[in-house]
Amino acid sequence: MASPVPLSRRLRRYGTSYAMLLPFLALFAGFLIWPLANSLYLSFTTFDGINPAAFTGLDNFRLLAEDTRFHHALSNTGLYVVASVVLGTLLSLGLALAFSGTGWPHRIMRTVFFLPSVTSSIALMLMWKWVFFPSDVGLGNTIVSWFGGQAVAWLATPGLAIPILVLMSVWGGMGYGMVLYVAGLGAIPHEYYEAARIDGASTWRQFRHITLPLLRPVTTYVVVTGLIGAFQVFEAVYIVFQTGANNVGGVLDSGLMIVPYLYDQGFTHFRLGYASAIAWVLFLVIFVLSLVNLRVGRAMKEL
Amino acid sequence: MAVAPMDTVAPVRRPPRRAETGAGRRSRINGHLLRLPFYLLALTMVAPFYWLLITVFKPPSELARTPPSFVPRSPTFANFYDPGWTAQGVNPGHLQGIFQRFQVDFGFWRFLFNSLLITTTITAGSLLICSLAAYVIAKHDIRGRRVIFLMIIASMMVPWQTTLIPNYVIMRNLGWLDSYAAYIVPALAKAFVLFFLVQFLQSLPNELIQAARVDGAGEWRIWWRIVLPLLRPALAAMSIFIVLAEWNNFLWPLIIVQSDEMANLPVALARLNSYFAGPDHQGAIMAGGLLASVPTIVFFLVFQRYFTRGIALSGLKG
Repeated sequence: MASPVPLSRRLRRYGTSYAMLLPFLALFAGFLIWPLANSLYLSFTTFDGINPAAFTGLDNFRLLAEDTRFHHALSNTGLYVVASVVLGTLLSLGLALAFSGTGWPHRIMRTVFFLPSVTSSIALMLMWKWVFFPSDVGLGNTIVSWFGGQAVAWLATPGLAIPILVLMSVWGGMGYGMVLYVAGLGAIPHEYYEAARIDGASTWRQFRHITLPLLRPVTTYVVVTGLIGAFQVFEAVYIVFQTGANNVGGVLDSGLMIVPYLYDQGFTHFRLGYASAIAWVLFLVIFVLSLVNLRVGRAMKEL
Repeated sequence: MAVAPMDTVAPVRRPPRRAETGAGRRSRINGHLLRLPFYLLALTMVAPFYWLLITVFKPPSELARTPPSFVPRSPTFANFYDPGWTAQGVNPGHLQGIFQRFQVDFGFWRFLFNSLLITTTITAGSLLICSLAAYVIAKHDIRGRRVIFLMIIASMMVPWQTTLIPNYVIMRNLGWLDSYAAYIVPALAKAFVLFFLVQFLQSLPNELIQAARVDGAGEWRIWWRIVLPLLRPALAAMSIFIVLAEWNNFLWPLIIVQSDEMANLPVALARLNSYFAGPDHQGAIMAGGLLASVPTIVFFLVFQRYFTRGIALSGLKG
């Protein structure tokens, strides 16, 4: 397109603007756009980090389709994501409904539930590992012994890995969702409830027809960000379930998920091409989920 | 640790309580009954924290005892620093405290310093860089800004782990592995921060900026003197997210850090976790976890008001 203004004048007029954009754009291009393209390329190669990458076409993806460890990681992640998001969202909403007041008992309860959000996440993982210590010295087994049970090898029992991971996620995350829901509840005009009460609507009907519909944007946000975060789980698996330098996923891979498997392939086996293919599978999953997030569409309308 | 009650964003207004009638009291009791499951849930929140705290103050011998004590019988600070432990001989009953565990200068303090340095630098740097770019995108009528903004929004849908491997290779080729630069430089351009600041700026009127331009102020001056002060609530909200994310950052440091000296707190604690598994070592490990949590909890207590407001702002209006 021919520009009506000569380039030199445009540069003088907008030079400062571009100069102000430059630091962000340079870093953005260098550490996001270029690596993104590069990882797509690497996913079509075998690359060990030392020898030059060798192009192998779709081989990595073909291998992934047959990789039983990867299938295991996918099904574990799916189960974990669904369970932790559903439970987490329901409990967040319940907590917000129960403790949305301004009095000090409610504020203390909110602080208690929010505390994990501001505690070092590695510290929480180490805490859980110690709670689920396999012998009688741990908190978990002490409680089991109160009910006359035998010591459980929590983290070494394959069937317990996903439930424990879900527990840690819900325990740590519901306070954050609660804060969002409390804000959402505060934004609902009080008059709606008064009108409903005059019409004789029951508490349940008020909740069903006023509270829930008006909280929908909050619910969408809590669910979508929860899904995206849950798909990326790493340190819960790495810290709590790792049994040795060459095992990230716990006993029989019972806690193996997408990102821990990516780390395992990329940085303990140095199959960087294969790990890039895993990274692109993760990318596609998250990309689709993000499209659901309508905030993007709204933002573009405003510009 | 005493925790002050949390401030609400927009508290739910309640009608003034009527004089206590029979029905009123009954409904209040009903309310407590309905909340009972949540009070029990609160117990499960407190119990692991309490377990962590008492572990920190138990001597190693008490940690290996069954059944465990729920009030430390002989409380001690030995898990932080045990004067009875010596590097040479075997001292039964004595283990290294957290400050004696790492063979680096300044021991555990080094990781606290690393984490503080990295977190503050990234927070300040990314807020400056992103606010500059946000000002241009929101308020300057330049060519290509729509395309640039669209690309930045699209990039928010990319999980950062997708770029993990190429970025690792870039760090290696630049010779930045095991340096502060590898922590800080790739973390500065944050698409979400830019997106949020652009939206915030778009909701502000142009008059102040126009007036400053008429008075002959340059664009850099306008950014520093007018835009940044206007952005203050948005910057406060974003700094909370950045501080928490960078303080807890683990996977990226795990990959770029090789030496003991350059570890941040999460990596140092993870290493401790993989070297020592016995119950008697848990006191020092939990002491490390406690020390790693104190800065963010203090940060939360000081800026409580901004926390809830910031979370709500980014979640509801963003």
